[in-house]
Amino acid sequence: MSEKFSNPEAPSPILIERLSGVVGADNCLSRPEELFAYGCDGLTLDAHLPSAVVLPRTSDQVAEAVAICREFGHAFVPRGAGTGLSGGAVPLNGAVVICCSRMQSILEVDADNRLAVVQPGVVNAHLSEAIRHLGLFYAPDPSSQQACTIGGNVAENSGGPHTLKYGTTTNHVLAVEMVLPDASRVRLGSPTGFAPGYDLVGAAVGSEGTLGIVTEITVRLVEIPEAVETVLAIFDEVPAACRLVGGIIRSGMVPAALEVVDQRTIRAVEASVYKAGLPTDAGAVLIIELDGAACEMDAQLQRIRELAEGEGVREMRVARDARERTLFWRARKGAFGAMGRLAPDLYVHDAVVPRARLPEVLEEICAIGDRHGLTLSNVFHAGDGNLHPNISFDRRDPDELARVLAAGKEMLELCVRVGGVLTGEHGVGTEKRDYMGMLFEPADLDAMRRLRDAFNPDGVCNPGKLIPTTRACTESNPKARGYDEVPL
Amino acid sequence: MSAEVGEQATLDALEAVAEGSVCLLDPPERVAGSRLRARVEPADGEALAGCLDVLSRHGESVLVMGSGTRMHWGNPARGVSVALSSRRLNGITEFDPADGVIQVRAGTPLSEVSRRVESEGWLLPLDSSGAGGTVGGALATANCGPRQRGFGPVRDAVLGIDTVLASGERTRCGARVVKNVTGYDLAKLYVGSLGTLAVIEKVWLRLKPIPACVHQVERSFDAVEDAFAQALAASRRSSARAVGLVAEPPSVPGAHPGPWRLLAEFAGEEPTVRADTEWLVPGGAPGVEGEGIVEELRARQVACSEAGLHARIHLLPGALAGVAGRLRERGAHLVVYPEPAVVHARFEPEADDPGPDGCDGVLGLLEEIRGAGAAEIFIESLPAAASGERDVFAGAGCLELMRAIKGRFDPDGILNPGRFAGGI
Repeated sequence: MSEKFSNPEAPSPILIERLSGVVGADNCLSRPEELFAYGCDGLTLDAHLPSAVVLPRTSDQVAEAVAICREFGHAFVPRGAGTGLSGGAVPLNGAVVICCSRMQSILEVDADNRLAVVQPGVVNAHLSEAIRHLGLFYAPDPSSQQACTIGGNVAENSGGPHTLKYGTTTNHVLAVEMVLPDASRVRLGSPTGFAPGYDLVGAAVGSEGTLGIVTEITVRLVEIPEAVETVLAIFDEVPAACRLVGGIIRSGMVPAALEVVDQRTIRAVEASVYKAGLPTDAGAVLIIELDGAACEMDAQLQRIRELAEGEGVREMRVARDARERTLFWRARKGAFGAMGRLAPDLYVHDAVVPRARLPEVLEEICAIGDRHGLTLSNVFHAGDGNLHPNISFDRRDPDELARVLAAGKEMLELCVRVGGVLTGEHGVGTEKRDYMGMLFEPADLDAMRRLRDAFNPDGVCNPGKLIPTTRACTESNPKARGYDEVPL
Repeated sequence: MSAEVGEQATLDALEAVAEGSVCLLDPPERVAGSRLRARVEPADGEALAGCLDVLSRHGESVLVMGSGTRMHWGNPARGVSVALSSRRLNGITEFDPADGVIQVRAGTPLSEVSRRVESEGWLLPLDSSGAGGTVGGALATANCGPRQRGFGPVRDAVLGIDTVLASGERTRCGARVVKNVTGYDLAKLYVGSLGTLAVIEKVWLRLKPIPACVHQVERSFDAVEDAFAQALAASRRSSARAVGLVAEPPSVPGAHPGPWRLLAEFAGEEPTVRADTEWLVPGGAPGVEGEGIVEELRARQVACSEAGLHARIHLLPGALAGVAGRLRERGAHLVVYPEPAVVHARFEPEADDPGPDGCDGVLGLLEEIRGAGAAEIFIESLPAAASGERDVFAGAGCLELMRAIKGRFDPDGILNPGRFAGGI
């Protein structure tokens, strides 16, 4: 890929004027204090100010903004709500941010055919709320679903607690309209779920905004299940909870969710506003959610109870109503917020291992944290083997920051060593770009480059993400980048 | 140097990198529009990479194939005289019953993988529409049978793929874990690409648990509206694994057609299967033994004769009844899956109407259906006389983008040239 679009200098006032001409002055930001909020996503360690931020409302405006960026030789970065956790929306080298968060229309809901057409800025949870009266919902449910956008979910192939049964975003996107890096517009896929030719939607979902900007999305809708049962299985130790996960999967049941919260997280949650009444001396809590036909719930609950007893469960609690179900989920969904009380900063890691290796990997991850003297807690999608080791820290302490980064790298090395991967749902972005070599050989990365170059041959769209380059190695090396100099 | 001398040099070089893998075909075999003079069957990934390196350096195109059960799919290949078969890339390389994942070589028969995983309580969710296929073939064609409702499309079962590119480079994407966003999802690109981007060496697959209970039932409907309303509702029952409507054309044009038969398989927890069966056939219905329902759907889906035309039409569920009705009237033998909504329409020539004229009429109707919107068509079988320059990937869009991808992965057009959409 060419490095033509590196934007080392400040944008020309004419560029700003032209962009403003497309979206209106209110939707084009260029003053430093306006740009500051767009310098990073949820990975706040990696901030770079953009040259400008454009907030289009239509596909036409996106295409025009892209054309203008090209004309001025300026790279651009697509952005949704900025809730990503891998630096995918970070505007390296002063790229222009094209933020789709104001493209918020639900364009069509077709209940008969179980699909909806949305603009990329529609907030994930808003779609499900808008169609609930039809007995339908949009299944991917990332933890940030109250804020993240469906366009961002497409870029990151977002998952969530219910991925185990319903799959990730890629399983729910039928078609997209995309503005390519050359400013042309294409429609990939088909509302029917099949388009003759290569599976371009499959390639585009999870491409982290490096192939183009998605401006319209056709998604599949799912029927709200007739019955839901939420269970807390409270254990003295994490490995027993993980063994129960394996037992449930082997039994042939497919729960909607299997989520583990460890003791350190339980204590943080119980000391916070997210308090869910969990015993703080428990080693782990496994949240099991079953959904489906009402007639099968009792039998499944009974089988789970038997399996849990076989693993020495201390206590089982079955939610008696929706209020109690919400309370149970607070322990999981409020975990990140609760950890905010422990330290000024939280590093949310994301890796996946074979499910059967969870107990040993978790033990070793805790040992890595302890060895580096860090405050580490675990909340994870156990049914998918998707770990989220969370490190609470203070970035103002350079030594602690260095230990956080070193521990993170060791954890990834561990996960790869046991057959796992670098990320299950947060993406590669800038965060893990230079760790891709842990998992892939140069020829593997070259194959990825071939795909990117077919869409984005000169690298104008979201440069410096996902695939390591020599130059990118320098950019993303924490020491070279100066994480500890990022302003608070 | 004559073409034959050049070809011999290529075959000698192939034999040198993959000893015992070159099989000369005398007389030449006709497959997928090609006249094959040799078939290369490397036995491992290294030999496969060596073969592609040789072919690439010699500028020799190849017809990539598994066991050859779907070679009638796709457009005819251009200028190919050597086949590259994955048949000997055979065997299960890793199986983790605790995690429900398996890695198999591309040439492994689907039936062999199914037997192995079923012995450990798992199902292989690759529901090929025909018998005898390989894992690599199922991926390359994205071939789906009646159980797509329960299993999902082929792409959903694929966790990672080891491939060899046209240049002979061995590459890998994905992994053995069930959730993964590390890098581009190239596996999605390879699945359904008919071997035009890379040759699959081995693949990690996600398995599904064997359901506790399976029940198959059948109902008949005279009215098309009733048949489709009930079929779609059955397909949306939570334990539906395979639901299909089958219908024959009227015996003579204009005659009252026979009934629509609804064939359904429910699988899952026993109470749900029982409830769904009772819902479809109140008062209880005699179950169909064994795999009868699915086998019938599968057989009907692939029953096209060499002189026949088989079109697969993907629609929105709401458009099914109208389109299926028109096709039946025009003489189609139908298998209709309500969700995802797919019509398999098979047209067999009448004794007095065997030629391409009848075929053109059908193709015209299909084009009309496609032109009406929200319909995508793939011609699975076309009589040789009617194929000509016709693209069986009817109306494929984004051809420029697809050609750019092909150009990056296979710049010299070595792999299956001409077989894919738009002559890719």
